[in-house]
Amino acid sequence: MARASYLILLVLGALALATVASGAASETGVTPTTVTIGGTTPLSGPASAYQSVAKGAAAYFRYVNAKGGVNKRKINYIYKDDGYDPSRTADATRELVQQDKVFAIFNSLGTDQNLATRAYLNALKVPQLFTASGATTFGRDYKKYPWTIGYQPNYRAEGTIYGRYIVRHTPKASVGVLYQNDDYGKDLLAGLQRGLGAKAGLIRSKQSYNVDDPDVQSEIAKLKAAKVNTLMVFATPKFAIQAYVYARKLAWRPVVYMNAVSSAANIMGLSTAATNRKQTEGTLSIVFLKDPTDPAWRKDAGMKLYRSIMKKYRGGDPNDVYAVYGMSVAHTFVEALKKAGKNPTRAGIMKAADSLNITNDPFLLPGIAVKTGAGDHFPIDQAKLQRYHNGHWVAFGGLFRVR
Amino acid sequence: MILAFDWTQLAQQVVIGLASGGVWATLAVALVLIYRSTGVINFAQGEMAMFSTFIAWSLVEHGLSYWAAFLLTVAISFAGGVAVERAVIRPVERAPTLTVVIVTLGLFFVVNGAARWIWSPETRSLPNAFSTRPIAVGGVAFSISDLGTIAVSLAAVGLLWLFFRYTKLGLASRAAAVNPDASRLVGVRVSWMLALGWGLAAAMGAVSGMLTAPALASFDQNLMQPVLLYAFAGAVLGGLGSPLGAVVGSLLLGVLINLIGTYVNWVGTDLRLPVALAVILGVLLVRPAGLFGRPLETRV
Amino acid sequence: MGSRALGIALWLLVAAVVLVAYLFVPRLISDFHSRELAGAGVFFIAIVGLNLLTGYTGQISLGHGALMAVGGYTTAALVVHEHWRDVWTIPLAGIAAGIVGFVIGLPALRLSGLYLALATFAFAIAIPSLLKKFSGLTGGGQGLRLLEDAPLQVTGLSGTVTVFGHSMTQNHFLYYLTWGLGLVGFVIAWLVVRGGAGRTFRAVRDSEVAAASAGVDLAWTKTLAFALSGVYAGVAGALLAIQVEIVNPLSFTFLLSILLLVGAVVGGLGSLGGMIVGALFVQYLPQLSTHVSTAQGVPDFVFGAAIIAVMLLLPTGVGGLLRRLARPLTTRLYLRP
Repeated sequence: MARASYLILLVLGALALATVASGAASETGVTPTTVTIGGTTPLSGPASAYQSVAKGAAAYFRYVNAKGGVNKRKINYIYKDDGYDPSRTADATRELVQQDKVFAIFNSLGTDQNLATRAYLNALKVPQLFTASGATTFGRDYKKYPWTIGYQPNYRAEGTIYGRYIVRHTPKASVGVLYQNDDYGKDLLAGLQRGLGAKAGLIRSKQSYNVDDPDVQSEIAKLKAAKVNTLMVFATPKFAIQAYVYARKLAWRPVVYMNAVSSAANIMGLSTAATNRKQTEGTLSIVFLKDPTDPAWRKDAGMKLYRSIMKKYRGGDPNDVYAVYGMSVAHTFVEALKKAGKNPTRAGIMKAADSLNITNDPFLLPGIAVKTGAGDHFPIDQAKLQRYHNGHWVAFGGLFRVR
Repeated sequence: MILAFDWTQLAQQVVIGLASGGVWATLAVALVLIYRSTGVINFAQGEMAMFSTFIAWSLVEHGLSYWAAFLLTVAISFAGGVAVERAVIRPVERAPTLTVVIVTLGLFFVVNGAARWIWSPETRSLPNAFSTRPIAVGGVAFSISDLGTIAVSLAAVGLLWLFFRYTKLGLASRAAAVNPDASRLVGVRVSWMLALGWGLAAAMGAVSGMLTAPALASFDQNLMQPVLLYAFAGAVLGGLGSPLGAVVGSLLLGVLINLIGTYVNWVGTDLRLPVALAVILGVLLVRPAGLFGRPLETRV
Repeated sequence: MGSRALGIALWLLVAAVVLVAYLFVPRLISDFHSRELAGAGVFFIAIVGLNLLTGYTGQISLGHGALMAVGGYTTAALVVHEHWRDVWTIPLAGIAAGIVGFVIGLPALRLSGLYLALATFAFAIAIPSLLKKFSGLTGGGQGLRLLEDAPLQVTGLSGTVTVFGHSMTQNHFLYYLTWGLGLVGFVIAWLVVRGGAGRTFRAVRDSEVAAASAGVDLAWTKTLAFALSGVYAGVAGALLAIQVEIVNPLSFTFLLSILLLVGAVVGGLGSLGGMIVGALFVQYLPQLSTHVSTAQGVPDFVFGAAIIAVMLLLPTGVGGLLRRLARPLTTRLYLRP
């Protein structure tokens, strides 16, 4: 392994020399009037609901372009379909680099999808900016892959917060975990175990399901049979709602920790409607984005801006929290591009992305900064805890550092 | 070594298996209907059921009462099934079976795409036809809704049996499927009988979708994709030609998967599905026409 | 000149045109487009193999994507774990998938028609779970990454490849490699179909009972067709892994099996020439359908509608159309003195 990484460095070095030798006056993908960036997203297939991330970002770029762009350059954002298949991501990304000659790859969606192109992009020194994935590796392995940077809080960190919270506030809890049988679920579980630390023995039962299973009735029954009183739900919305519904069917009412993937107000609303107020009461979760389905933000200036952009620049369904995420990441790219100066280069945008300090992102919770620096390659690593009370989320406590 | 075997846990897992299998059975019956009346597998059956579910949702959103929306959706779906058959299946009626199968695969994408296009992909919920209040008997929990779903499948099987056995239309439909040429000679409009089969299957699919959505607690455009797989497996286990077999096969499959998942640790979550499929393959190798199917005679 | 000589001359002409096209197409298109054509070549090889099984032997397989997975993972595992040079793994990938093809052909001895199709369907559904389970070999859910973990085994890492003294870009290399193997595979398939094995295959397709009573060993013929078809799928899977430099369970879902079957049927079952069109169809259709509109759902709708439209217009595929068009010519060639 170590040998392989040494060799890759050698080869990459040789490649770098070749690139420098052919170095041109202006950077690839940058003209006096445009900056072209590209990414992949599932426009087709079962995962195509995630395309709202790219569409929210595209709407924000249209808004910025209408206001004159960045340094008089319009941002041209090309997103290509990969059907959530990493092989197709590899092809589409090479098309963006070789055919469309993009300045940078931006906001490509999915962990395996970004991993499929990371070595290639780093070999060519093409920035792989703000991967839309909760995997830790994109922020952690920057020494090996300096041309890659993540964006959102990672799953392992989220799990850690829940673990620490349990140790501090309910050290006698008996914990059961429902998790998706893939890297996403396993990362959250690993984080939980890390957060519990010496108290990891509190976990009495771990039940996993496959993303293509129809339901999790059997798993919920096993968790109940293990006599746990605290249920960690590390599952996507469909299974998160099922967790409440099937628990109620078994007349079981544990304290629920709901992972941020499934804690949007509309999902919690569906769960409450399908069961009752008592079943969802007291659920805990973390939050970092403003939730467009949460009435608490109805009069918020940032969310008003969000809704007006979604409407005017064809962003799609404004109640889709993925679109808020897309706008936030686009906002960050614009700030990084400004920071990269009048004549942005690939090295320059990487340097800018590695030294961000954005405190005015209108789409993130107040107080959350998009911050990177030497040794910190996790742009968003703060979140707030919130508790579901009487059919609404109520944030409490200060900001948590999650890494 | 088994230290303390928990019989309640076993009973609970069996009951949950029956509840899940009951949901798959509704779609399995629709698959069998198409197979019986046209001799093909309709890969778009689940997507058509999902589309029907969205229609029902829209009707409820527009203020219709649940049962009015239910009946209207079944009627619309029947008409839709007939229309689909006339539009895309009839032109390839005499083409090889595989051509028809490919058309149904194409339909899969068309129907799914149309549903995403018309309705945004957010998660929704549909009211339940039956009560979901928990009931516990001897420590084993279930709901009226679980029983209702299985009852609907069995009732549909009964109705279909009566229809195919005692009505003139039903008899004609069976004749058209078994021997199209002879049926034509005695005046059966064979082509329309195929359309009838599609209509009935689509109507059954609509019932399936409207029971599946509340049973799985929420739905979106991916509602039926996991269910289709298990419905296929259940139908094959029972014998593709037998509606009752489809129901029994689905229920058995539901119980089998839960028991494997609960008591056979080395299988784990990854191998649950492959092991269940291997069991079905084993059954097929012993009884190639499934548990309830009759083997076909081979003609030279 | 006799009609036989004329026929041979015609075949030589076709062969020459194909060879010239193979050599010179990359000069006419952009570098990246030759990479895309290499992707179509992967489909071409798998579809030719599937056609041997489904078109000539009558056994429907909904599981060929899973056989491609066997080939792709064999290549990736040899490169990442054993440090083999990527291109030298291709033969072993073909053999591995051939063996697995033989094994999944065994149920065909008892099952026929749609039941066999459903058995292969089960295999296609089960393979991603199996890949995740045996993670020591397969990398589990994350798969294996050739460029990341074994960069020196990847051909064309530096951007150019030298073959027989000719230097070419990596994309051109992938094109020549894939379509070179594709043409070899095509010729082998053609020889099989024209020879004794092909006659046996077709006899089984047309009537199993009649074939058996004429002394054909049904079991042997069916499993042989499955194994041979598996070798093609394995080579295709290996080439896919070499092209995209990763393997992942998400790349080998049931959708891939569907695409292969669609390609074979669109190309025209029982016709080898039409497979080129089938391969181009499944390579470019998903991309083209996002060009119509990227609105939610539209790409899938267009994709499905195009498949249905082709089936309604050409129920026997492109191959059937070619046969119809060529009939007057061949009739004249063979019937007139």
